[in-house]
Amino acid sequence: MTSTDDLIRSLARAAGTRRSASLQAAFAVTGAASLACALLLVFSVIGIRQDFADMAVRMPFAFKVVYTGALVVGASVVALYAATPGASATALYALSPAVILLALGVIFDPTGFPIMGRTNTAVFFCVRGILFLSLPAMILTFVFMRKGAPTRPLFAGAVIGMLSASVGALAYTLACKNDGTAFVAIWYAVACAIMAFIGAVVGHRVLRW
Amino acid sequence: MTKEEREQRWAEAMRAERRGDAVAYERMLKEVANALRRSLAPRLVRVGLGAHEAEDLVQEILIGLHRKRNTWDPARSFLPWLHTITRYKLIDFMRHRRRDTRRRVDLALEDWVEIVESPADEADCSTWEVDRHLAVLPVSQRKIVRAIAVEGASVRSVAQGLATSEGAVRVTLHRAIRRLLGTADPTPTIEPLPRNAHDKHR
Repeated sequence: MTSTDDLIRSLARAAGTRRSASLQAAFAVTGAASLACALLLVFSVIGIRQDFADMAVRMPFAFKVVYTGALVVGASVVALYAATPGASATALYALSPAVILLALGVIFDPTGFPIMGRTNTAVFFCVRGILFLSLPAMILTFVFMRKGAPTRPLFAGAVIGMLSASVGALAYTLACKNDGTAFVAIWYAVACAIMAFIGAVVGHRVLRW
Repeated sequence: MTKEEREQRWAEAMRAERRGDAVAYERMLKEVANALRRSLAPRLVRVGLGAHEAEDLVQEILIGLHRKRNTWDPARSFLPWLHTITRYKLIDFMRHRRRDTRRRVDLALEDWVEIVESPADEADCSTWEVDRHLAVLPVSQRKIVRAIAVEGASVRSVAQGLATSEGAVRVTLHRAIRRLLGTADPTPTIEPLPRNAHDKHR
């Protein structure tokens, strides 16, 4: 009787104790909570844009919502992929709509607004706002990911960062005063990249199991 | 057993586990352990590790499989899931060993002097010594080892105190003891051969 047999017996005793709410369900709850937190912060701390009602029916706002929405959906699919061992890598294609929108937004910017935004500080405020709004999502998604089984912690962390930044960006569309599609496409993506970097560094340390 | 048979058999056992069938689950874990042992041992031998290490790794993989079993989707095949976990644990194991080796070799000068001068003889019985040995463990493992092995508490009471299951306490204790045995081993664990072999195969 080796120690491995002992171990196996004690593991087998726990059979059936993990009533597994599926990973997808847990993820949906995490996503909803993240978005709710980000919206709460945008209403309470940053404040929505003054001419919101007027702006909300125009093309630039639609582009922002569709672009960030595509990022959220794409990053979510990839996050579930990162949390599941042996999942199919075709999940990575889920990011292509967001990439296409990014390219379209930069190349065919119909608004003609400057890429650096309407004021000198626009880029700084925009990126800072998105990073701030993505913090609750970051924490919640890390908690979710620890329940999953990420076999590439660095990658999983980067995806978490990207997902939280896109949730933050989706909420930030309500406050963003810059309507240039090139501005939105580029700087929202930069915010995602920054959070992805932070997430990778954190994930590398936190997501081992 | 062919690959298809294995896939079918183990996937069925995993589904049985969710229904609470401990017997089927135990049988599957044993089969998985055997299969892992067969496939991993030669690989570890190639990088200069022995059967003992292979067994450690098999246990790590089984614990990983058990703790993350809810991430397997019964609608998908089981073997790719298991392979990914095995691969992850193998890489993790190698990295840990490399780091452990380095930590044991990188001693401060005073420590080397101490090793050379002090005769390694009497059993270390004082609490201070025990604490020093336990210090190599992560906090969670240390708590459990101290409670059970030093203070003599029962697994059940420890599990209640930490608000976890007895199984979880046993698993932790198990890991901690293996780790302690690894550190307290008086024979030098680093021979020149493994390192060279290791580098060659990297």
